[in-house]
Amino acid sequence: MKRRWRDSGLATLMLGPSAVILALFVIYPLGKAIWLGQQRCGVTSCTNSGFRQYIDAFRSNDFQDSLIVTLKYALITVPIGLVLGVGLAVLADKYMRGVSIFRTIFSSTVATSVAVASVMWFFLLNPNVGVLAEWIGGRAKTPGLLQSEGLALWAVSASSIWANLGFTFIVVTAGLQGVPKDLYESAYVDGAGGMRRFTNVTLPMISPTLLFATVVLTTRAFQSFGEIDLLTAGGPKGETTTLTYLAYGSGLATSNDDGLRATVSVLLFAVLLVLALVQFRGLEKRVHYGN
Amino acid sequence: MRRHVALSVLVVGGMLGAASCRSGQSLTNAGVDRRPTPTTVTTLPGETTVPPTTQPRKLDTLPPCDVKALDAATSSGPVNITFWHGLSNELGRELERLTAAYNSSQNKVKVNLEFQGGYEQTIDKYLQSSTANRPDMVQMPEYMVQQMIDTKSLVPTQACAESAGYDTSPFLPQALGAYATQGVQWSMPFNMSIPVLYFLKPRFTAAGLDPENPPRSLDDLLAAGKQLVSSGASTYSISLDSDFDGGGGWYVEQWLAKEGEFYANNENGRSAPATKVLYDGPAGVKLLSYLQSLVTEGGGVYVGDNASGQDTLFKLADPTKPASMTIATSAALGPVLSILGGGVIPGITNADVGVGFMPGPRNGQGALVGGASLYIVDGKGGEKAAAAWDYITFLESAASQSQWASATGYIPVRQDALELDPIKSLYVTDPRFKVAYDQLISSAPGPTSQGPVIGPLKQVRRATASAVAEVLTGGDVQTALTKAAQAANDLIANYNAQNP
Amino acid sequence: MAIDQVHGARKVGRYVLLSAMAVIVLFPIYMMVVGSLKPGNKVLVHPLLPTDFTTSTLREAWNSGHLGRALWNSALVSTVITIAQVATSILAAYAFAFLRFPGRSIVFVAFLATLLVPLEATLTVNRRTMQDLSWINSYKALTVPFLATAFGIFMIRQVFLQIPREMHEAASMDGLGHLGFLWQVAVPLSRPTIGALALFSFLSSWNQYLWPNLVTTNAKYNTVQTGLKALKSASLDKPNLVIAGTVIVALPIFIVLVAFQRQLIRGLTAGAVKG
Repeated sequence: MKRRWRDSGLATLMLGPSAVILALFVIYPLGKAIWLGQQRCGVTSCTNSGFRQYIDAFRSNDFQDSLIVTLKYALITVPIGLVLGVGLAVLADKYMRGVSIFRTIFSSTVATSVAVASVMWFFLLNPNVGVLAEWIGGRAKTPGLLQSEGLALWAVSASSIWANLGFTFIVVTAGLQGVPKDLYESAYVDGAGGMRRFTNVTLPMISPTLLFATVVLTTRAFQSFGEIDLLTAGGPKGETTTLTYLAYGSGLATSNDDGLRATVSVLLFAVLLVLALVQFRGLEKRVHYGN
Repeated sequence: MRRHVALSVLVVGGMLGAASCRSGQSLTNAGVDRRPTPTTVTTLPGETTVPPTTQPRKLDTLPPCDVKALDAATSSGPVNITFWHGLSNELGRELERLTAAYNSSQNKVKVNLEFQGGYEQTIDKYLQSSTANRPDMVQMPEYMVQQMIDTKSLVPTQACAESAGYDTSPFLPQALGAYATQGVQWSMPFNMSIPVLYFLKPRFTAAGLDPENPPRSLDDLLAAGKQLVSSGASTYSISLDSDFDGGGGWYVEQWLAKEGEFYANNENGRSAPATKVLYDGPAGVKLLSYLQSLVTEGGGVYVGDNASGQDTLFKLADPTKPASMTIATSAALGPVLSILGGGVIPGITNADVGVGFMPGPRNGQGALVGGASLYIVDGKGGEKAAAAWDYITFLESAASQSQWASATGYIPVRQDALELDPIKSLYVTDPRFKVAYDQLISSAPGPTSQGPVIGPLKQVRRATASAVAEVLTGGDVQTALTKAAQAANDLIANYNAQNP
Repeated sequence: MAIDQVHGARKVGRYVLLSAMAVIVLFPIYMMVVGSLKPGNKVLVHPLLPTDFTTSTLREAWNSGHLGRALWNSALVSTVITIAQVATSILAAYAFAFLRFPGRSIVFVAFLATLLVPLEATLTVNRRTMQDLSWINSYKALTVPFLATAFGIFMIRQVFLQIPREMHEAASMDGLGHLGFLWQVAVPLSRPTIGALALFSFLSSWNQYLWPNLVTTNAKYNTVQTGLKALKSASLDKPNLVIAGTVIVALPIFIVLVAFQRQLIRGLTAGAVKG
């Protein structure tokens, strides 16, 4: 009995700082936000409308549209980002002269913050100031990729795939270095070609890495705000209004209504929670952790 | 691998399934009972409706302002006040110069300018702050009138003006009227701008049009556009945008005002709170159909939501497929001239830029005041309000306004500023700067010449902008307007319910 | 090693492919640098090689964007957060890995659960808290909510758990207390992971966008990200100025990347560690 309590005092001291910060700035605000999300607020006061506010908000056109936009955005950025990242990492994984220069180049975009990358792409894609509009022409020139219905989300995705490429590249490169070389050797001896070696050896061995990258990229897609804010402000006609932008963007129904803003952000939390459960439950079983 | 794919499909399918429970309502109605709001006040039986014999003035129910508090407070050094503004670059620097001049001209008040990054940031931060975190004085764009009133955080400038015996007679009535509702002057106009037509004179000449007589009516605009394109003077005639602060929202209000129509009910929300927008009516449909024809027949080009803020103007400078005209705020004239002066379009100097009335009904006459005004914040102490008022009177003086207008291209808020240099000479040497002034004072008298006062006007403009984008890309006008009006009315209903 | 070697035509092909991809990846950065060197009247023409060089745009961006101040703020805020996160994480991780106290696993799960809460769900309430504390426009608002992270606690606990129990027992036989063991044995053994956490913390606080926008109204407290947003909205009539500003704020973090590339790889892959 005594042994169990032996370290309690010290443990309290050591856990204290983290516990206080996490309680004050994560647990409490989440609880408060769930409560606040049942209220509609005017400029000076709020009125209670109960839990149905969550249901109404979830079923509203705006939320549903944003949910679909966010899903589309994730479905564009995550697979393409992964394929590019894996492809580059595999290409640059061979013993060749100068390969480290390529590695530095491919990982370089990790150094650009959301704001830097977005402002960069904003000007790159701008129909007047940007060079890409001039090269591509057509709707890229008039009215511009970021302004064109049907293309804006792809343009934002391009920026985000580029910005996340460095991250994916680094993660997959590290994963590849963890694959034992003798596995390749024996596959080679067994007569497996390059492609077979990739699907039979590389992919299963780096699957934990891929899971990690998928989770991070998906989370980033669902929480994207800065790129939307700086590139399109949610337009054209709401085609790039992601869930986070719906909650925190400017000039929307949630602006200046802390209650509705809380409703949407708590719903975003719920969506992310479901997503996390699905990703881990579903994918982890299929991931090869080796022995 | 296949199982991965199958699983992803399952997840996405599940989410899309969840998405299918769409209610058809807009987010702004979440948690709100959709009972129809009574439009008329009904009297219960037995209740008498005798009005009180002496109706108190609305102003007297609001925080007072005693300008003498400043003198009392300054025995112990100057009163420091903080002023939040959203003016960037040259505009911000000119405001800094004026403020420095004010600070050094007297020792009672010291003004600290705090640039917020733009109007949007100023709004967000003001609304999200408590009294303690708010400044003593704030600049807000014209669409914020109702929301600022509803913050219940203001000392109306009229209270200060009355306390000081301030003479408002030299002010343009349009300038003051924009910021007055329910008989109260809430704020003082400072930087005033309206949309005008920009065009390139050499291309007009090349097309056989008179560069000294730009189109004024919508028919003229359409005809001039056809001529610019068919003569080969430029690829496109006019560049049009759907920025909520431009072609998507603000201009729609302007066109309706030129037509002599209200944008929202209850006299644009000035006789009683507006409950719905009116632009989905015949006048709005007619106007937007015209706008659509500018693109479909008149060689106009739609440049999107003007995300860079300059896309409409840059379209005139496009090296390969340029336009020759656009509509933009008069406040852009200074920057436009300085950019062209730098030689951004080979062969075009800043003398080649023409400025005309924003074409529209009634030959383009009249405009709704845009720009921003100055509000005094309540709860900071009488001496702070008095100090803010003192600084405001400096910014509003004829000399300051003359200097401000000539440095920026904004319209002076008072007539007597035109009698003073530098604006007096500038209006003679470069009449392009005077076009906006002339257009504003040509407004027809009457309530339709005062813009809409709607709580969520910014959000309403965004809803309207979607309709304009739809129309300019070939959508059906009535459908687009009906949809936008429905969204706008929901926003207004919920705003009104939350801000009684 | 034989199969890792690439020969002949395939080698050439691989170089071509790598170079093509490198050009694509570097292209946006290259165009930004070229743009930042262009004079203002050339913003509408896009030569691939800069024709007339000028540093005046960069200088003007530096001055009008108050970018020096913003870089300093970001560096300060990120450093404080990094140091604090490393310290709080080490302490808490030690408690979870080496101390005995009732309810340890429940408390640990509670800590871990905070990882699931996205920043977005807490922002509104946290902003109100800052307002109630009168912390709007202060370094406190920019740092205090982020002084601890469950991610860091989890990461360091994982390496602490790999330290053999026997070492801990031997140390306490030698009269080494908990703090002594933490400082002299556990921390030195976990240095790579701690370095990785530090870098991860630094990068994520450097990249914060929404939060600094919400809690600062005074340009004095602009971080690099909010400063860039302000510069963009303020200087749209001078695109070359914004481009130059972007180049300026991107530079320091590029230098950090090159200098700490190995730790960075470790930091970003920490989550992919088995188990």
